Amino acid sequence: MTVRTLDGIVFSQMVRSGAHHLTNNAKKIDALNVFPVPDGDTGTNMNLSMTSGANEVKKMDSSNISEVALAFSKGLLMGARGNSGVILSQIFRGFAKGMDKKKMLTAKDLAQAFDTGVSTAYKAVMKPVEGTILTVIKDSAKVAVEEAESENDVIALMEKVLLEAKASLTRTPDLLPVLKEVGVVDSGGQGLVTIFEGFLAALKGEELPEGVTSEMEEMVNAEHHKIAQDFMETSEIEFGYCTEFMVKFEDKKTKENPFDEETFRNQLNELGDSLLVVSDEDVVKVHVHAEYPGKAMTLGQRYGSLINMKVENMREQHTAIIGDQQKQATKTEKVPYAIVTVAMGKGLKSLLESLGASVVIEGGQTMNPSTKELSDAIMEANAENVLILPNNKNIIMAAEQAADLAEVKAVVVPSKTIPQGISAMLAFHPESDIEENRAVMHDACGQVKTGQVTYAVRDTQIDGITIDNGNFMGIADGKITATHPTRMETVKLLLKEMITEEDEILTILQGEDASDKEVEELVNHVEESYEDMEVEVHKGNQPIYSYILSVE
Amino acid sequence: MSIELNTNDGQVTITNDVIATIAGGAAVECYGIVGMASKNQIKDGISEILRKENFARGVLVRQENDHLHIDMYIIVSYGTKISEVAHNVQSQVKYTLHKSLGLSIDSVNIYIQGVRVEKE
Repeated sequence: MTVRTLDGIVFSQMVRSGAHHLTNNAKKIDALNVFPVPDGDTGTNMNLSMTSGANEVKKMDSSNISEVALAFSKGLLMGARGNSGVILSQIFRGFAKGMDKKKMLTAKDLAQAFDTGVSTAYKAVMKPVEGTILTVIKDSAKVAVEEAESENDVIALMEKVLLEAKASLTRTPDLLPVLKEVGVVDSGGQGLVTIFEGFLAALKGEELPEGVTSEMEEMVNAEHHKIAQDFMETSEIEFGYCTEFMVKFEDKKTKENPFDEETFRNQLNELGDSLLVVSDEDVVKVHVHAEYPGKAMTLGQRYGSLINMKVENMREQHTAIIGDQQKQATKTEKVPYAIVTVAMGKGLKSLLESLGASVVIEGGQTMNPSTKELSDAIMEANAENVLILPNNKNIIMAAEQAADLAEVKAVVVPSKTIPQGISAMLAFHPESDIEENRAVMHDACGQVKTGQVTYAVRDTQIDGITIDNGNFMGIADGKITATHPTRMETVKLLLKEMITEEDEILTILQGEDASDKEVEELVNHVEESYEDMEVEVHKGNQPIYSYILSVE
Repeated sequence: MSIELNTNDGQVTITNDVIATIAGGAAVECYGIVGMASKNQIKDGISEILRKENFARGVLVRQENDHLHIDMYIIVSYGTKISEVAHNVQSQVKYTLHKSLGLSIDSVNIYIQGVRVEKE
């Protein structure tokens, strides 16, 4: 059958058929909706807009197509809902305008009307987003204009328009990244294709089937995407299992329990969310996020046997995704330089961190970190170049081993004490290369004198000094130089040993067993006895050493 | 003026300009909007359609106590359902700001400053 012209009566049927077909598929289109706002209402909005347009058309009793098209356009405008509804109203506003008051349309006129629809629709937006309903109508109209050159049959032309609309729709994920990410086609575009399907069916005098089952996969993807966006924390997932199954209807069971999609959907709805139910005569396909997947399946089993079941634990999946993201984040953000160092005590740790250490390993005199701990710290620092400051002579070897094992460039600056480590860090220069840094930092270690005050745990005789158990000892650069039953006297003796006329700065790192009052007394003593010395006090909170002193 | 967010790792400060630019960008992608208008249009008497870099002039971000309000001055296309276009802008701006900045906006007020009639 060849139809050369299109009049108002046929067009009115087309509009009604398009609206009807859209109503049947609104739910499916809702599920596809991820752009611009994933609120899942595109199908509903388009359906309301289209129904309003169809109602205006129903009131008309005209065979004049431009009058019918104008009524349709008016109805769409009044009932426009959502972005897609507004766009639809513009397409058909242009469409009606493009008819130029003709009573009936040839294939060429129809193509022209579509084309005017496109330009009107594009005029109403500042920044058209491609990969949406706009692209689908643009591509379709272009084909209509091209084909109308040689095609006189309105039905054949509409077939080609629909074909191109479908092809354009499948291309939308390539144009709009969010669609590709989710793995769906554009919802508004799908709406337009649905309307065109209705148009063509009316032209051919065909009935369209209710509902479409083929794109269930796409809808499931869209639902998952929405869920993923909703939950940032795994614990926020209310319904833990993504459940998909199909029920193959069995006569015996459906006789007892006649299947009604609406009822079934409502029952499932109480069990969870992200619900999709699609059915035809033989099967019903279900996707639901439920806390008790068994309950959903039991509901399905009342109508027949279960086939193609799949249940996934979304909490586990979500945890895994978050884990991956965190791993990726640490992998990608590699910094050029990092300093790994060792210290004991909260205060020392934060002091070193404030100076620029990336990782401070807990450790020191009585608790030397292993090579593995050092290796892990190098990994954790996540830098292209790593400088290691062991701050203890017993750790230097392990640090060197760790540096050898490291996958990135790592060198050890053999600092033997905390003050040496601090001096070295102050000498660090991020602009210089790693070897230069190693050299200047090593030099810096030698420019500072370290004093340590601790207590003896047994009687002993070292470096010609007799020490009694429980007495305090003062160590200057690794050599015991002072001992006394009181801590204060020990420090004073130690300082006397260490400070020479050339020295200018004394830094006191207060250990966890040194009181503030005692430190104050010590500072007063220094200021009185060594006039030219500047004194700085930091709370190191280090164990074992009541004081760590740095003299420069 | 700026928005302060406290996180576990420290503080994040987002200036109103950032909010206005994101809101403006979301709005102009909305169907039916043909431009942003200067919020001072009435006062200035200048009918100008703002280009991208001037979004902030058509977007006013107000912070009252803990509540965020956005006023947007837009120009719409003739022949669209203006109430619906405005509503679309509201939801899209709200969604985009939530998605990109994690901000909850209490209200997005739309002022239609003009309707542009295209030459046929």
